[in-house]
Amino acid sequence: MHELSIAESLFELCRERLPAGHRLATVQIDVGELSSIEPELLRFAWQAVVAGSPHTDATLQVTWHRAEQLCPRCGEVAERQPGSWLRFCPLCLEPLSVRGGDQLDLVAITTIPLPADLEVSS
Amino acid sequence: MTTLDARQQILAANQAAAQELRQRFVAQGTYVVNLISSPGSGKTTLLATLARKLGRRQRCAVVVGDIATELDADRLRAAGMPAHQIVTGGSCHLDARMVAGALDVARFGMLDLLLIENVGNLVCPANYDLGEHCKMVLLSVTEGADKPFKYPGIFSKADIAVLTKWDLRNVVPFDERAVVQQIQALRPGGRILRASSITDEGIDELCTLLEQRVGACKAAAQR
Repeated sequence: MHELSIAESLFELCRERLPAGHRLATVQIDVGELSSIEPELLRFAWQAVVAGSPHTDATLQVTWHRAEQLCPRCGEVAERQPGSWLRFCPLCLEPLSVRGGDQLDLVAITTIPLPADLEVSS
Repeated sequence: MTTLDARQQILAANQAAAQELRQRFVAQGTYVVNLISSPGSGKTTLLATLARKLGRRQRCAVVVGDIATELDADRLRAAGMPAHQIVTGGSCHLDARMVAGALDVARFGMLDLLLIENVGNLVCPANYDLGEHCKMVLLSVTEGADKPFKYPGIFSKADIAVLTKWDLRNVVPFDERAVVQQIQALRPGGRILRASSITDEGIDELCTLLEQRVGACKAAAQR
């Protein structure tokens, strides 16, 4: 839903980091299961945001991280599928806690020098 | 090809603006709640009820976000709550810069409690820190019992969950146990309250909780 705002913020961050005379080749990000972000929609929004800029071919590489549900006795619930949350530990019925999965981070960018005759209009 | 390690939150700019707001709220001793729910689960109605109950004892105000209209702020002002409307013009969430801008214009003066009514949406507002002390999520009993697991982002981040329209719990099928267990799984230790703005059930408990936090916030600011 708000993937476009996220893509715009990401593009802004990337351009701040960009060395002069370079264009973006790849952008690596971490997205967690609890981040309320749909990676496919974010890739789509990214294409819209970079279109028409010198970075139009920049690809967005999304690494998705699941959240862990933890039982105080049995440890991490192993068989949980993404999106299917459990109310209790399937083994001992203890209440569970949640760890991680809230990533929404820029990790790294790769850049390519622009041809000398092309000015980056950002 | 050059690779640059660039580890940073994607919403770093919003985070910085939120941090500035938070420092201001903490210094002033203003407790701030970011109110989030789907459309129609009773945010504005609950705030009008709080205006009636809390307004006499605490200096309260509301910043309210809506995609298109000023109707919510009008309703709250009619209930005696100072209110400033942010019309987001299509944006599905408030961000920290919108709130900072609204506070500059609204000039509420010193406040004990600032309530920020976010745009009706359980997804996008979860990502945007507004400098608040706590997120409060509302879920009405008419919405269906699977909502917490459908929207785990916000239910894992909200410190207080209020089950609203509590007077209707016997009128509609509502599995309280399932909802409570889901919320507890996503946010162990979070507070879960039940409230009805029609019968006033649970409203005093919510007011007491908020006033405790207002008091603690004020005491911390004076230290």
